[in-house]
Amino acid sequence: MSDEPVIQIRNLTKTYRDFWGRKKVQALNSLSLEVNKGEVFGLLGPNGSGKTTTMKLLLGLLFPTDGEISILGKPASDVSKNEKIGYLPEESYLYRFLNAEETLDFYGRLFDISAEERKQRTNELIEMVGLQHARRRQLKEYSKGMTRRIGLAQALINNPDLVLLDEPTSGLDPEGSQDMKRLIENLRDQGKTVVMCSHLLADVQDVCDRIAILYGGELKELGRVEDLLKEQHETQFVTSHLDDTAVDEIKAVLDKHGASLKTCGHPTSSLEDLFMKTVQRSKDRPGQRYIPAAETPAAGSETADSGS
Amino acid sequence: MSLQPVEFELLFGITQWAIVFGSFVVLFLLVSIATSFPLYGTAGPGRVLAGMLRGFKEFASPSPRRVYAIASLTFKESIRKKALLVFVVFAVLFMFASWFMASPSDRPDMQVRNYVAFVFIAINMLVLPVVLLLSCWGLPEDIRIRSLHTVVTKPVRRNEVVLGRMLGFASVGTMILLIMSTVGFIWIQRQVSDNVDLFCRVPVYAVAGPEGVKFLDRSGNPSVDRDGNPAKGVNVGDIVETRSFIEGGTRAAGVWTFPLDEQADTLKLESRFEAFRTFKGDMNRSIRVRYVLVNEEKSLKVPLPTFEVDEFGTNEMDLARKQTFTDEQTLEKKEVDIYDDLAVPSEDGRFGSLVVQVQCLDRAQYLGVSRGDFFIRLPDRSFTTGYIKAVIGVWLKVLIIVMSGVTASCFVKWPVATFLSFKVIVIGQVARGFLDKVLSGKQAGGGAAESVYRLLTHMNDTTVLPANPLTSSIQLFDHGLQHLLWMVKFMIPDLRSFGMSDWVARGFDVPWGGVMLPSIAITVGYFLPCVLLGYFSLSMRELEAK
Repeated sequence: MSDEPVIQIRNLTKTYRDFWGRKKVQALNSLSLEVNKGEVFGLLGPNGSGKTTTMKLLLGLLFPTDGEISILGKPASDVSKNEKIGYLPEESYLYRFLNAEETLDFYGRLFDISAEERKQRTNELIEMVGLQHARRRQLKEYSKGMTRRIGLAQALINNPDLVLLDEPTSGLDPEGSQDMKRLIENLRDQGKTVVMCSHLLADVQDVCDRIAILYGGELKELGRVEDLLKEQHETQFVTSHLDDTAVDEIKAVLDKHGASLKTCGHPTSSLEDLFMKTVQRSKDRPGQRYIPAAETPAAGSETADSGS
Repeated sequence: MSLQPVEFELLFGITQWAIVFGSFVVLFLLVSIATSFPLYGTAGPGRVLAGMLRGFKEFASPSPRRVYAIASLTFKESIRKKALLVFVVFAVLFMFASWFMASPSDRPDMQVRNYVAFVFIAINMLVLPVVLLLSCWGLPEDIRIRSLHTVVTKPVRRNEVVLGRMLGFASVGTMILLIMSTVGFIWIQRQVSDNVDLFCRVPVYAVAGPEGVKFLDRSGNPSVDRDGNPAKGVNVGDIVETRSFIEGGTRAAGVWTFPLDEQADTLKLESRFEAFRTFKGDMNRSIRVRYVLVNEEKSLKVPLPTFEVDEFGTNEMDLARKQTFTDEQTLEKKEVDIYDDLAVPSEDGRFGSLVVQVQCLDRAQYLGVSRGDFFIRLPDRSFTTGYIKAVIGVWLKVLIIVMSGVTASCFVKWPVATFLSFKVIVIGQVARGFLDKVLSGKQAGGGAAESVYRLLTHMNDTTVLPANPLTSSIQLFDHGLQHLLWMVKFMIPDLRSFGMSDWVARGFDVPWGGVMLPSIAITVGYFLPCVLLGYFSLSMRELEAK
């Protein structure tokens, strides 16, 4: 990550007006921020906070009421900036009568990519998003998750320097979400800049270097994730299992230093971790199914091979 | 339909196009600057000019690769969305059409006319609506379902979207047209009787304008109206004013001046005149007519053999280059050469012009004539040539519809775009003459305000308006409106020349200068303004506007 700004936004304001020019909604109000090269930047905020509007203004799908945008050193209205940009919209707005191969080939032809390279990249991306089995099926037959995957593939067809992802994990199952997050990390590792907007905070926390929080079209927070999340007034230890005596001794030490123990117990993993572990186990041991605790008193809540 | 083409003056057409296009650009610029003030204040004009400059720069450098990609997508989209179902209707029509069409016992020319007319009506009725709907529906639907967003967020200029869409829909229309016209051609060949020859006559019409066809009154003097202007022949009250009538048994005549561009040993004269009888006459014969070749400078008048008019067919006469005749004054027999002695020096033809008078010889009968009724017939061309030209006529119409539909769909939703394009096509085809008359102030009954006045006061359109301040104001208003609508007239394409199949149906080749050239020029002329309008409409539009 460098300090070289890829996106510069200065006093960006967007007001939606009705047919008669009367003010309808103030979607953004004097937003200023910068996104640096090689970072994963998250735009957070509740519905209607201006995340997607910001992204569409960056892409030239909307025109700013006021303010300036520089993206890859060019104004947002300059179409040539799109040569190095990949965009995954909130919904994958693709041509449903095309199949996956045709879709990627079509979007590849909009860039200066040779037929041979297009074919190679198409194959790579289809494999990357895991759609080898459905590469010849028309998109109208795809599930939402599959459509998101092919949408992501089209966003990467030009090997972009800057990737804009609008709700990237929307419609994806946890496995797909994990893949998406891994992919975002890969992109960062390749030195690419990623801007994503989402209201799934866990996703953002997992992958973003810096975030901006918008509310009512205004910037409320901006900074590194760990800086913003750090509780300066508390200290956390995670140790291997301790018995009650050890816990009491620790409490005594804390008392001596004028601190109090706020929580003590076994940490829980996230539901996402549990889900991923279960899926991985199912893949490793196909046919195994859940057996209620009453049927396997010795093992408790265990799983058993359905064939056995 | 009128088979009386007027030669298209390409240079005049280009000049007029440049004036209209330039005016349009200036008007667009002025309106944009005016509307920019309330939005951006004093910075508005600068933003407009900068935007326009950037726009023109972008517009001037479309990428053929991207245009082709979008065109291919459009083609694929149309095919996969079942546009080709139109062939089912086409197939059904052609399977059963012969049941209701002409029988082999009909006159050969009528057989051909019916079959050709049917094929082209079917093609027009099937291809044009499909192309209209496709071109008006494609882009708005693309915007509605936001698939266009994934395209314009790639390095795609808006003019490439417009061009790609136009090219794609034009390709679909062309493919459907080619298949249908090929089937139609084979069908015509199979339907006509074996004894019917398919061919296309190549006519040389009298030169256009008042010099082309003139009339002599019953005394043999040039026919003039009350104001001394050249007049037509007699008006027998026929509501179709195409033909004018020559009084029989007098010195009245119609005078045709034909340009001579080629030299031949024999010229074929062909005519189809209408008779108007004031009494029944001899039922065993038709009205008698005579051609007279005239060179007034040399005082030569060479009468050709009299013939009876075939009122429902054609009159053909072979004219040898050398003609022998008896001089009416000296009663001597003389021989003249058409090119050396009779041709009048003229700029219209390379070998001058041939002046032919047409006289009706039966007293109290009248001969109905028009410019296109009488022509020199050059060697025939093949039916295939004419048929291909007629197909080109439909194809040009397809292009105009595509351009109009795609352009309209850049700034309005598809139902409005469809309605708008449909109206443009209908006015351009059916009401263009009326529009021209209204906007040139030649329409009886005046302009919009005067027409309302006449309706309210129950005044017919030929009555002179009373002179008072109200009527003066009305006429002034109409005059102003007429000038305001000057550009509107040019925004609607004149599609009257595009119906080339009528020529082929009637056994004629489609003339180049009077029909094909203006149609091609109109299509080409509309291309740039349409793409430019579509580009700026799409560029100035927020695709994500709420």
